[in-house]
Amino acid sequence: MIDLFSQLKLQAGKSLGTLCLDPQNASPGPFVLGNGDFFIEIPVAYGCSYSDLTLTGANGTALPDASELIDKAIETGVESRMCTALKVACYYLEAGLVRKPDLIITSSSCCDAMDTLGNLLNGYKPWANVPKFRMDAPHSFDDESYRYMGKQLRNAVTFMEDVVGRKMEWDRLREVCVLSNKQDQLLLEFQELKKAVPCPANPDFSRLGFAYDRWTGERVSPQLTDWLEQLVSATEERVKAGLGIEGIHEKVRFLWQDLAGSWPPGLLWGRLQQELGAIAIMDYMSYGTLTPIDLSSEEALFTSLGKRFLLEDPMNRQALHTTDFFCNDILQIVNDFKCDAVIMPAHIGHRDTNSRLKVVREMCREKGIPCLVIGMDIWDKRYMTPDTAFDRIKTFFETTGLI
Amino acid sequence: MKSGITSDSFEKFVTIAGSIMNPSVQKFKDGGGKILGYTCSFVPEELIIAGGILPFRIRATGSESAGRADDYFESANICSLIRHTFGKVLNGEYDFIDGAVIGGGCDGNRHILDNWGKSPAKIEFLDRIFIPHASNELAAEYFLGQLSGLKSRIEDYFGVTVTDEKLWSAIRLCNEVRELQRELYGLRSSDNPPITGSETVAVIVAGSSMPKEEYRDDLKVLLAELRSAKVPDKKYAARVMIVGPGHDDTSMSDIVEELGGLVVNDLTCFGGKVIFGSVTEDGPDPLKAIADYQVLTRPFCPKNLGAHPVINKELFYKIKEFKVDGIIGQIFLCCDTWGGEVYILNKELRAAGIPLLRIEREYPADSSGQLRTRVQAFIETISGGAV
Ligand code: SF4
Ligand code: SF4
Repeated sequence: MIDLFSQLKLQAGKSLGTLCLDPQNASPGPFVLGNGDFFIEIPVAYGCSYSDLTLTGANGTALPDASELIDKAIETGVESRMCTALKVACYYLEAGLVRKPDLIITSSSCCDAMDTLGNLLNGYKPWANVPKFRMDAPHSFDDESYRYMGKQLRNAVTFMEDVVGRKMEWDRLREVCVLSNKQDQLLLEFQELKKAVPCPANPDFSRLGFAYDRWTGERVSPQLTDWLEQLVSATEERVKAGLGIEGIHEKVRFLWQDLAGSWPPGLLWGRLQQELGAIAIMDYMSYGTLTPIDLSSEEALFTSLGKRFLLEDPMNRQALHTTDFFCNDILQIVNDFKCDAVIMPAHIGHRDTNSRLKVVREMCREKGIPCLVIGMDIWDKRYMTPDTAFDRIKTFFETTGLI
Repeated sequence: MKSGITSDSFEKFVTIAGSIMNPSVQKFKDGGGKILGYTCSFVPEELIIAGGILPFRIRATGSESAGRADDYFESANICSLIRHTFGKVLNGEYDFIDGAVIGGGCDGNRHILDNWGKSPAKIEFLDRIFIPHASNELAAEYFLGQLSGLKSRIEDYFGVTVTDEKLWSAIRLCNEVRELQRELYGLRSSDNPPITGSETVAVIVAGSSMPKEEYRDDLKVLLAELRSAKVPDKKYAARVMIVGPGHDDTSMSDIVEELGGLVVNDLTCFGGKVIFGSVTEDGPDPLKAIADYQVLTRPFCPKNLGAHPVINKELFYKIKEFKVDGIIGQIFLCCDTWGGEVYILNKELRAAGIPLLRIEREYPADSSGQLRTRVQAFIETISGGAV
């Protein structure tokens, strides 16, 4: 399993999010830059590369010189309490470090800060002549909203065709979507297997798998399908044998209801596993409810992508919708994954989460689920050091009798 | 700073803008009228008025502490305008309204709805509409769907019928009011305006806090007085414009004007953005006319990915027309939306040689401390030391 993990990490490291900074990564097709998630199936099928500047900023916070980078980002003068990942993204842009795109496709999405980055991209003077397309993500999950989102995605394709002067090959798009469905199915199978007690595989697999699957051109590579198949079959074997994570004696399973952030996993989750037997069995990013892309017609394809955008993209799912919806997901996860506790990191940039903490706390109290709210910057470990976070979580487990 | 306006209408506006519940609303309520609160300028007053209901813009005016709202909204991470506004809801200051429509603008704002519904400040009709974050035909069409859903829910809950005729009539009324408000703003382009910035804020805020026809009539009286006013020659150290969210009270304008400046215009969520343009008064569908106005004509919320060019154009137009010496870009801490907008504007203003003072602050303006010092230094700089 460890080999599988290293393999994927290596692959992911090559392509995740650095596309827009490193000219070496330039691929021959047109280069599309955005502020957030865009369906990688579309650029892949169209034969162009896509990079997400938010993700690039987030990755910047994991670099060895992250502190220096974050300080420079703060000096740019964007809102002082804005999400650190976004500040770094703004800095990359303003410092002229981002490769000039051929097209810009932005969308309003999971948080105000990402919309701000979208505005910055759209208003970036040196790229005034780069063609731009803007999409609007409504905060609803009903058929009308899925159709609305789907139409915008369809229009994004027309926009690309108009700018590039080449038509989308629909058969190629369908082929890509079939592969994509297959990969999602495998991810969901892996997610199912994680429900076993003890947890058969390090949860980092699903976080990485998700990130890789969602954001890189590798989404449609047979390589990733292979990797996921191996992961599922290795995990199945472990479940059959009743094995838990290698080297870990599982004592506590908890939901980490936020992103993992950019701390090296060993600094917090690794320590929690090793020293306390506490497993972050599920998190905001890994929880997937992926329905297959509907290939029955062109309209169905885009509407189903619209639905995935609003409801199944993990960040949009958790941030865009109502508190009831958010709370239902927590209960569902706690139930399905047999969690003993909920930890709310309450990342400083997450205005949505920070607007619902009281409701979540009260719901957990009512249901008898121990809940800890931390209040940290998941992208800057100087705000709260991993050691402090570890101590707080340890004390919480001790006082609630979980360890 | 006071300009010496004496009319009763003006006094009435000041009273209404300085409090939440007010005699005009009370009278309307006593007569059996229903009141619908709303949180964002994208919620069209026209639709509410057409139902015979009084639209009341929910605001935080006068709040010094967010109080129990800080249990709901994490104080270090959520903008204080939201927290202070919700604090008023929890204090019971909005108990007089019969329902509320939350315009889901920014992340914090849309959570007012969820928290309200789960708080002890119970309210039966709690609704929301999604505010599009793009400015194009498709977004306008989607917004039209939102408005038509809201219209049905208002009709069902309040037992009213919103006909096209009533909508057109409400559109004409609101257009007339906006036109009068623009005339009021226009008076400030002169060297010696008959009304100050602070006074104007009071007049505009009152407009979303009382029956619209009554407001229109009072505003006409005030304008008549202002048009013929003999304004004594005054020297202002600098002509300032305020850009940013909120502005539901006079605190920032007061500081500028106490220090010898004059606020001659603004682009804020309660002021210049609200009075912008008109809804078309003909066409087959009045609701579509409203949707098009909100999404295509005035996409002023910087959360909207298409808003910046419109904001920029309006800003530079006002700078020229109103002979603005400098801009105060005020944002509330944790407001990513306006934080980004002011950041972009700053670059553009700098390129055009127009000074900008960027202020990040909490909702209650500390008029004696650092804020005052910074505004003073700014006015001194842009006036060439003429304070
Ligand atoms: S981490 Fe949260 S606040 Fe930061 S960019 Fe992502 S969704 Fe937005
Ligand atoms: S000031 Fe900003 S964060 Fe606060 S309500 Fe307005 S847009 Fe939202």
